[in-house]
Amino acid sequence: MKYLVKKIVTLIMTLFLVSVLAFLAFQIIPGDVVTSILGTEATPEREEALRKELGLDQPPVVRYVRWAGNVLKGDFGESYRYSKNMNQMMPVAELIGDKLPVTLLLAALSMLIIIVIAIPLGVFWARSKSKILDVSLNMGTQTAMAIPSFFLGVLVTYLFGFVLKWFAPGSYVSFRDDLWGCIRYLIFPAISVAIPKIAMTARFLRNSMLTERSSDYVRTAFSKGASERRVSYVHVLRNAMMPVVTFLGMIIAEIVAGSIVVEQVFSLPGIGKLLISSISTRDFPVVEILILYITFVVIFVYFLVDILYRVIDPRISSK
Amino acid sequence: MIKIEHLSVAFDGPEVVRDVSFTIGDGEILGVVGESGSGKSVTALTLMGLVSESAHVTSGKIYYDDQLLLEAGKPRDNALYREYQGPKMSMVFQEPMTSLNPTMKVGAQVEEMLLLHDRKCLGESIASAPKQNEIQTQKGQLADAEGVKMEEAKTRYAVGFTGWREERKKEKARRKNRVLEALRGVGLREAERVYDCYPHQLSGGMRQRVMIAMAVILHPGLIVADEPTTALDVTVQNQIIELLKKINQEQKNSLLFITHDLNLARRLCDRILVMQDGLIVESGHTEDIFNDPKGEYTKKLISAVPGRTGKRKSPHEKIRPLVEVRDLSVFYRENANSLFGKTVKKCVVHHADFTVYEGEILGLVGESGCGKTSLSKAILGLNKMTEGSVTHHSNSPQMVFQDPYSSLNPMKTVGWLLQEPLRAQGILDPSKAMSEKDREAAAHDMLRKVGMSEKYFTRRPSQLSGGQRQRISIGQALITRPGLVIADEPVSALDVTIQAQILELIRSLQEELKTSFLFISHDINVIYQVSDRIMVMKDGKILEIGETEEVFQHPKDPYTKELLR
Repeated sequence: MKYLVKKIVTLIMTLFLVSVLAFLAFQIIPGDVVTSILGTEATPEREEALRKELGLDQPPVVRYVRWAGNVLKGDFGESYRYSKNMNQMMPVAELIGDKLPVTLLLAALSMLIIIVIAIPLGVFWARSKSKILDVSLNMGTQTAMAIPSFFLGVLVTYLFGFVLKWFAPGSYVSFRDDLWGCIRYLIFPAISVAIPKIAMTARFLRNSMLTERSSDYVRTAFSKGASERRVSYVHVLRNAMMPVVTFLGMIIAEIVAGSIVVEQVFSLPGIGKLLISSISTRDFPVVEILILYITFVVIFVYFLVDILYRVIDPRISSK
Repeated sequence: MIKIEHLSVAFDGPEVVRDVSFTIGDGEILGVVGESGSGKSVTALTLMGLVSESAHVTSGKIYYDDQLLLEAGKPRDNALYREYQGPKMSMVFQEPMTSLNPTMKVGAQVEEMLLLHDRKCLGESIASAPKQNEIQTQKGQLADAEGVKMEEAKTRYAVGFTGWREERKKEKARRKNRVLEALRGVGLREAERVYDCYPHQLSGGMRQRVMIAMAVILHPGLIVADEPTTALDVTVQNQIIELLKKINQEQKNSLLFITHDLNLARRLCDRILVMQDGLIVESGHTEDIFNDPKGEYTKKLISAVPGRTGKRKSPHEKIRPLVEVRDLSVFYRENANSLFGKTVKKCVVHHADFTVYEGEILGLVGESGCGKTSLSKAILGLNKMTEGSVTHHSNSPQMVFQDPYSSLNPMKTVGWLLQEPLRAQGILDPSKAMSEKDREAAAHDMLRKVGMSEKYFTRRPSQLSGGQRQRISIGQALITRPGLVIADEPVSALDVTIQAQILELIRSLQEELKTSFLFISHDINVIYQVSDRIMVMKDGKILEIGETEEVFQHPKDPYTKELLR
């Protein structure tokens, strides 16, 4: 319980710090949202009016405090750029609420694929004694890690979309209309996200298992007459998973924060795409919330990893 | 019972075990004695079928009760070995800290022995299932014949199934009971609690007891114990030896006891093999070997063992105090590892009060965790969280550390390492700064003093043996001519013969340079050999301090008495 409270306090402090930093960054980087909206031809009076409308005429501290106060009340503000209809701007909450599920769904699918494939692959690799298999797996995973993700996306689209015709590229359906259809479409971008991560995780797990193999307790297990298989699965795997869990945590954080390139290639309306366009148009309210979201996700995932770690390794919680 | 014939083992290179033949009789305790690298562990691991796959058995055969287990030139039959590992032979390893799976409860690890091998125990439960069902079905048929409804027969069948499940539950409870019994058998009083502990929650001695429980639970004919007490404290060491002795007497199993410690072998073994460089150089009954050693090496080994009869340092007059420690308490901070957690100050040394005199060797003896190192760090000034006072009447003291393998910077040459304290001294106190040439001359001089030839000046630590490295460490400590050198377990990582040489070196350098030493060790015999006075420490408190002879003849504290046993 005490542990949980500590974690939450750290989370809140980090979020506050990050929001301040993001705000400051926006003050420093060149470019002006007003010029970006109105273009360079606008009259000074028009610019002044818009500035006032957006509240940009206030000093930075006042703006930050006002913004932060609103966020705490649950009001994330309105986008500078996206409009809901002719006379209303899009609220940030709605904007992100629209895109977030896509990214989360993509992340969940990718993670599932990674775990289901990478862990058995890593164990199999560590246990295999065949030289040829070792070399080919080594080369295969190295290639998978080296391919740039946009190219991998294109390859997946080509293979599954045009050769095998398992899905129609560009035919993304919103999860609101057809959840199952959406998932079926998302599987393929998820594969593109997963392939390099599978390679990394499998390699990592293999190395971790081989390191654990030379531990003293493994020799003890053999001295009891346990079979190779039993030693690998009952004794080595759990110990070897510890560093892998941290690594998987890093991967989750990365994916949930938005797989920008893959979202572009498969034209998915996710967070990654939104982030890029908002930064380039100085859409401050959107960026600020997105940064907070990403920070939150990263910290939260690490928190989960921490808990998982305690489950796997009994030594940690007693310290 | 065990017969090993002409066994040779090699790892891609020269043979590490050469033409080793011996037998172990029923109920016999055979000791294998030798220094590190003598091939004693490889022999044991080969016998157990645990040696790594990069090792090749180049010649020889191993028999267990006339059953051929291993033959040179043929691949190891792992399936056959698995039948033997556990029920017929088991092993206790050196490192109790790492030999148990850290993520598995201790009880489960002991129970694994039963799960893997106890066919009888498992077989009963499996066999009982169909039997019970048959009875029920028969009853069902009977009922059918008697005209009772089929429904009832079905419930009876179901009863049979639950009966089988009950049986399995009972079986599980029985297994647990056997594990608890085994744990109690090795002297773990709170067996129930230990059963549910993870290894890290137990002390080293307790873990070794768990390992022994695991090894004896199936009552194997042979137990191989590879340095089972080396990583343990002296008092715990005694207990484990007594335990192995007791098990041997009660269960009549054979024991292959591997050790570098001749005293231990003498206490426990019926017969002894002495190994050197992979060869058996001498074998015979224990007392014969000790009383009348034949081989040169055996003689050397026996004379190198620190005993309480060997020659001692000539006693020394206490004249001028060098370091005065007054009512010193040492603390360390236990970080709560978080921004808000309270840091707890823990006291590790309580009110130490003693004086080190000029030119004496003061021995400090105690078990691991008793505060020896904390105390020495406080005297050096490395630990600032102290109360009380330490007054030095000479220049700053130097230190020799335990592990010669990791305490020397591997990137530097011996010459550079020897000069480093002089360089540091020059920076701290410009008046003592020396020219490059003088430093080099001093380093060469020191190299000679620690008994090493000129050619080592340009070598790096990785090219030296453990003993040579420790010589360099001692040279480093002495080169600034400090009044006091603190030597923290300087010989405990070394083999006995090397240990004897280093102790001799420390003694002669001390006579020559008149430096005082605070000599820390867990080995009371080593302390006896080198010290003028002894200080006994336990749980952060100094229990006793006095002239070496006096303490050995008339120990006052019960703990000292136990140490001296």
